[in-house]
Amino acid sequence: MLRFIIRRLLGIIPIFLGVIIVSFALMQMAPGGPEAAIQGQQRRLTNEQVDSWLARWCLQREDDLGALALEFGGWAGILNCRNQGSEMLFSEQGGLNFLPAFMGGGDNGLLHGDLGNSTNTGRSVQEMIGERVPGTLMLTITALVTWVSVAVAVGVYAAVRRYSLFDHGMTFFSYVFYSLPTFWLGLMLIFLFGPLLGWLPTGGVVNPRDWPAFGSPQFWSAAGERPLDAFLDIGRHLILPVTTLVAVNIAADSRFVRASMLDALGQDYVRTARAKGLATRVVVGKHAFRNALLPLVTNVALSLPFLFSGAVVTETIFSWPGMGRMFIEALGNRDYFLLMGILLVTSMIILLANLVADVVYGVVDPRIRYD
Amino acid sequence: MTGRAVDPTTEAVAAGEAGASQPAPDDYEVSLQPLSQMQLAWRRFRRHKLALVGSVLFGLMVLLAIFGPIIWPYDPLDIERVTKPGGNPPSPGEIFGTDSLGRSVFELVANGARLSVAIGVVTMLIATTTGIVVGALAGYFGGFVDSSLMRFVDLMLAIPFLFIVLVAARFFGSGDPLVLMLIFGVLSWPGLARLVRALFLSLREQEYVMAARAVGVGHLRIAFRHMLPNALGPIIVSATLLVANAIVLEAFVSFLNFGIRSSDISWGTALARSQGTLIQGNWWWPFFPGMAIAVTVIGINFMGDGIRDALDPRARA
Repeated sequence: MLRFIIRRLLGIIPIFLGVIIVSFALMQMAPGGPEAAIQGQQRRLTNEQVDSWLARWCLQREDDLGALALEFGGWAGILNCRNQGSEMLFSEQGGLNFLPAFMGGGDNGLLHGDLGNSTNTGRSVQEMIGERVPGTLMLTITALVTWVSVAVAVGVYAAVRRYSLFDHGMTFFSYVFYSLPTFWLGLMLIFLFGPLLGWLPTGGVVNPRDWPAFGSPQFWSAAGERPLDAFLDIGRHLILPVTTLVAVNIAADSRFVRASMLDALGQDYVRTARAKGLATRVVVGKHAFRNALLPLVTNVALSLPFLFSGAVVTETIFSWPGMGRMFIEALGNRDYFLLMGILLVTSMIILLANLVADVVYGVVDPRIRYD
Repeated sequence: MTGRAVDPTTEAVAAGEAGASQPAPDDYEVSLQPLSQMQLAWRRFRRHKLALVGSVLFGLMVLLAIFGPIIWPYDPLDIERVTKPGGNPPSPGEIFGTDSLGRSVFELVANGARLSVAIGVVTMLIATTTGIVVGALAGYFGGFVDSSLMRFVDLMLAIPFLFIVLVAARFFGSGDPLVLMLIFGVLSWPGLARLVRALFLSLREQEYVMAARAVGVGHLRIAFRHMLPNALGPIIVSATLLVANAIVLEAFVSFLNFGIRSSDISWGTALARSQGTLIQGNWWWPFFPGMAIAVTVIGINFMGDGIRDALDPRARA
């Protein structure tokens, strides 16, 4: 198992390198590029500030392949932009720049955990992403838990009561929800529960009248004093976004669970269990259920990227302070460093999630051997 | 499907052979014409009620896309007197209501169909062609070609699709629907390529491929003339889903104002125009364009299901 994990981790490296190159290339091919984005800020910045910023990231004013290579080297942290010529390979400490700082390397670029600065706010990208991670995780993890538990409950019940009214109703609704455009469903929910019924809040994480802005230090200290209130308020704000986010996934996976549960119920060992007089509850809950869940693990892992894409949609519509909405804002501002940072972080999460799914699959299904 | 030698397990062939071996009356023989694979598939498709419903829904949308703008041309200057701040609610005269300026939402939906459906279909054509070529080459030749193409596919699938589509639409899209189709098409083939590759890997080992190779048929002819028709079932199913996905994607990208320029009417731009109006309570403006998308997508999904069942050679007519 350990060997398998290590092998898979090594396999991730080339793909991640590819992701790095693709995100860099995408931003470079885009009209203008980071140079134009920072120069667009010149109303607020002096020429010296712009020049020093450009120099900090090896951004050249020329537009040829050499300049591109320098820029990539600076962003990745292979080159030290403070030096000139072949000296760029070395850090201030005299070591090769790509080495970690404690081994005499530099402190700039991806290799040293520095994703650059936002061209819009000037703040460091990893800091900005870090602020938005709690929001996104809160949304996606709640969504994931809701998604899996509802899909399993509905799917299993429909399989056990096959061809019942519930089964037919569930099939119908899963078809309908599977086809609804996510963002439109969100808009309609906003209208229904917001202006029309007035039952639920339709945007944000907490009620701005009662709480400081979510994510700020003031918020965390206020939430620490009244944790139950904070929890309940966040919970109320989560209902609509989570419903929007998981409707499609629940629709697809409840049918999936139903099919795999029916498959399991038809197996010989289920008949054996029934024949030896076990209660239906035990046969369904223990023998069939556990085996029916196996395929769901892979299915959920494969759908994780869609959860992140869905989070972009949902966060935008429900003004949720997460990475997805920051991505849309960064697109609007042409904030290249921030965009590259978000692309890298999300891709990394997805690659790791796939790895975890493979490992979990091996743990829950003892028939799988990885050597 | 049709070109291949008949599969001896199907009923129709069995019936046909039986008819040929017995000295039956002339009219009896005529009634037992063997059915081709396509005819069998069509027979199964017809019996699939949901699939028929889906085809009718999608067919209606295609008709709307073709004739809608001709019958109900959109005239931004054709303004009704607005009696409520958010626009007039649906009424017998204006079944989908009006927008806040008093223009017909029905005309918006009828005219948006053309661009939305076109984007769905063209995206599907681009993505399917690319996906088939890449997947077929990888699956047929294997080895170096396979591993390099598939690493590229892995890479494309590692970056969340929506993120990369939005970046491309924001930076390379000019508001031109054609550019948007190209972006969607170029970015949505990797999943299909992986599917085609898997199908080709198993088809490659079939006897008829060996036979074709033995009589000296060229590689490309084997791959695209002999193997491709046998992989067509799953490909068609994913192609229908690609149409649905592209329609929804267009709506979202345009909704964020990164898609089609707002002067062109699609279901996405119709929704984008209605942004911020929900608070005023005029639900009908965003509701009906979204409903049009939902109905189209439901139709396509039902159709895909029917095609999947119909083309499954293990299923019986």
